[in-house]
This record gives sequence, structure tokens and C-alpha cells, in this order.
Amino acid sequence: MSVINLRHLQPGTKIGLADGSTVEVVSNPLDGIWVFARYLSSPRDTSLIGTEEMIFAQDIVEIR
Amino acid sequence: MARTARHDAIHALVDVKQGLISRELFVNEELYQQEQERLFAHCWLFVGHESQIPKPGDYFVSAMGEESVILTRDREQRIHVFLNTCRHRGMKVCRYDEGNTPVFTCPYHGWSYGTDGRLVGVPYYRECYQEQLDKAEWGLVEVPQLVNYKGTIWATWDEAAPPFAEYLGGMKVHLDTLLDCRDGREGGSEVLGGVQKWVMPCNWKFAAENFAGDAYHNISHRSVDLAGIGPSGAGRRDTVERSTAQRLGASFPDLGHGAVSFLQLDDVPYTPSYQNTPIVEEYFRHCYEERKRRLGKDARLLGLVGNVFPNTAYLARQPRSIAVWHPRGALKTEAWRWFLVDADAPPEVKDVLRHYYLRYSGPAGMTEQDDMENWNYATLASKGVIARRYPYNYQMGLGQDYGTYDSPGVLTDRIAEQNQRGFYERWAAYMDGARTDPRNGGRNDGRATRKGARPGAHRPESRGKPPDADGRSRSGG
Repeated sequence: MSVINLRHLQPGTKIGLADGSTVEVVSNPLDGIWVFARYLSSPRDTSLIGTEEMIFAQDIVEIR
Repeated sequence: MARTARHDAIHALVDVKQGLISRELFVNEELYQQEQERLFAHCWLFVGHESQIPKPGDYFVSAMGEESVILTRDREQRIHVFLNTCRHRGMKVCRYDEGNTPVFTCPYHGWSYGTDGRLVGVPYYRECYQEQLDKAEWGLVEVPQLVNYKGTIWATWDEAAPPFAEYLGGMKVHLDTLLDCRDGREGGSEVLGGVQKWVMPCNWKFAAENFAGDAYHNISHRSVDLAGIGPSGAGRRDTVERSTAQRLGASFPDLGHGAVSFLQLDDVPYTPSYQNTPIVEEYFRHCYEERKRRLGKDARLLGLVGNVFPNTAYLARQPRSIAVWHPRGALKTEAWRWFLVDADAPPEVKDVLRHYYLRYSGPAGMTEQDDMENWNYATLASKGVIARRYPYNYQMGLGQDYGTYDSPGVLTDRIAEQNQRGFYERWAAYMDGARTDPRNGGRNDGRATRKGARPGAHRPESRGKPPDADGRSRSGG
């Protein structure tokens, strides 16, 4: 699995997380460590859907 | 060390009554370290200018003593000053000079802070902290007191420090000659261009005491005046109104500040200074007349130079600027200089001033180079064990009283070293504990002032708005 460069993630990009969730990038502070994203799905906790959270680089496993 | 012993030790080095100051103040590493705790951790320090952070998310990395700090404006337009260090392992959370960001992220482990200082991102917060870490307790360390004074941002680490206006005291009228518009309106300045930064191999106090009002060293700048770098492109290095005014040296020994201004004794017409640039000449002529109309007799005071204790200096008129002498060791100072201009001045005026300022000040400025030569070689020549036995002489004007003008402070109408003596009198008061001992009526007991910096004390949501110069709560924006 190749390492994803967070600085290339534009708002609107859909990304998959290690826990199986899918989120959509809302904004990118370009620090290479975090992105702000909105949950589209979460097998772990469905109450997260629609909420925004800071997503840590190492939790991101793929671009969807 | 008991306070009495400390007092004796300090006053063996600083004898303002005799006008003798030990060279140890300029070369001794132990004294330098004591200054960080006893002085820089308590004084009000200049951090930056509001025009450097006009938009939410803007930041400017500055320093308070040896500490790196972030001056920033949050989403609610509130101005903050934070210690630039992660609460987890201490890494700098901002390694740029200035910019705009929604968060300050530590590159070490990834803790991330909002521009309001709150800890907003902790990697593995759920998995490894089990959501038990109280993020509200681990925000960036924020200064307990901050003030926006006419666009300039000042802060102190001392929760018990007096309000800025009280700290400034009678120095206000002199500082205002720097910060107010050239036509007499209050405030209204902006930073012109970037901040010049350079390192000098000298103790910070050489620069501070020089700008507190050393009018004796004009001979050092004689070559500059011969070269003719004045605003008009010729003549003396600064403006010439001073030739029709009375010198007014003002010392505030109970506060440590010092200034040299000029007081016009009569109704003096505008003195042409920008003959080579008619637009600029007309602008300053207009400002001069407007200032007289607005301020009346108060317009007679023309600022020249000053130092707000301990390490913030200014040139009030030409080249209008603020300098901070950041301590970087007993034998090292990092100088930063901000150039100011009225924000609504015409572009042609700003451009002419920018060129003039650069001819005069900064590491490539002809006048500032003269000063650095003196400070650097004085430091070098004071390091030796033999040289250290011989104190510097600050006896000019000792015992003379010239207080005949309607202005605050201890005044002189000629060249004297009272401002330097006042500076070191205050320095000694901080260093011997007299300033900070509650038994002495001081409000700055170091034991009671650590609250703002103690771990977990930071609660930005309950902090409210910073006070203004009079101690009232106000917006920093």
C-alpha cells in the first residue's frame, strides 16, 4: 500500500479510513498530518455520519 | 540567596548615584540567565503589530525574551499570543515566520491546536487515549495579559503585572509620537514591508540603553551625515524640525523607560524635508498643519527616540520604526525592526519612506551599522578579566536638575546620561527583587505569577477578552 500524501487531497475527495469508514475531505490545512472531513459512512458508529472531524494521516488507508 | 544579599550583590554592580555600571552586566552569563526569570518573565514586551495579522488565521511568530511565541488572530477575530511549544513534547508547533492557517500542528506526534489555542487534534485519541485525555486542559500556553495599544500588541507572562497604561506611565506621550498618525489622529499605523531581523555579537542592554536616549554618540554618525542620507536625499540623516526645537530628555527611573523628544517653543512653520519628491513634501506639510490644528499646543512635542523598558526601542519620526532587542545570550542579541507608516498614506509616500528607512536602519542601514560597530566592539573589549574590573562611566549630568518643562518624568534640556541611569535603576530593581517582592508593595511576586504558564491552566473559552491599555476588557481585534 502506497503512502498517501495528504497535501494532495482536495476538498471533495472521498477517502477510506482504517476502521472501514468513508469520509469526504472538507478542507485541508496542508500540514501533511490532518484533514478536516465529513463522515459518509461508519461501520463502527453510525451516529458519526454527517459529522465533521479532523482525520489523522495514519488513519487514512485509501482514496476512493 | 536572601533578598538582602541579592540586593547588595546587584547594587555592587549598579551604582546610579555614582554613575558607575559594572561591565559584568554586559558579559556575565549568570546575570543573563537571571534576567530571563526576574525581568523578561515579568515585563510587558512588544510582540507585533495588528496589521501583520489582519485576517482570521493570520499569524506572526515573535519572541518574548528567549521564548518563541505565536501572535495570531482566531476565527472570532480575537488576538492571541501563545507559547510556541507543543504541550506533549515541546516541539515548536509553528516553524514559519508568518502565514495563515486553521491549525498549528506539531510535526513530532501530531497534536494540533486551533488558532484560539485549543487542542483540537490528538492522534489515536479514541484508540490509545480511550478518549480520557482532557483536551481542554492541554491547549497552548497563552499569555495571561495582552493589550492592543494603538495597533501595537504587547504581552506579559506576569498575571500580576500592572495594566499596560500603568506600566507605560508618563512614557505614553513620547510613545504616542511614534504610534499616532502624522496628522495627529490617534493610532492608524501599519507595518511597511517585512520585519528586518539580524544577529549582533553584543549584550541586548547596549542597544536598549542607546535607544533610551544616548544623544552623546552623535559623533559616531558623522560620516552618515557627511554622506547625506536625509529624507530629501541630502543633509542630516533625519528630519530637520529638531533644529528649531528644545531638546527634552525624559527619564522614568521608577519605570525604566527613557526618551529624547523635542519641544517646539514657538509657533514654528513646517520645515521642508522632502524637497526632491513634491507629493511627499506636500503630504507631510499637510500632516504638519493638521496635527497643529488637532493637538494645539501638544503638537509642539516631536518624538525622536526612546526605549520602553526593557527591550523595545523606537524612532518616532524618521525613520519611524520599532526595534526589539531579543536576548540570545550574554554576548548575543537578535535585533528585529518594524517600519511603520500611516496606513492611509499615499503609495508614493510609502515608497519614498521605504527607501529612506532602508538607507538609515536595519543591518544594511548606514546609521544602524555605526551603532552595531560600537556595541559589538564594546562587548568584545569588555570580556577580559582585566577589563571587567573597570566600570563604565554614566556620570554625565549627574546631580543636575533641568525639570522646567510641563511634561512627565525627570527632564533635561541638554545631553545627559540620566536616561541610562534610570534604565539601570529599574534593571536593578527587577534583578534584586525589590520590584517583585510583595513586601515592597510590588504586584509582581514571582511566586504568584506563574498561574498563566502552569500546566493545565489554559482555558481559552473562559479567558474572556484581553484588557486594553487602561485595564478594561476589550477585543484584541
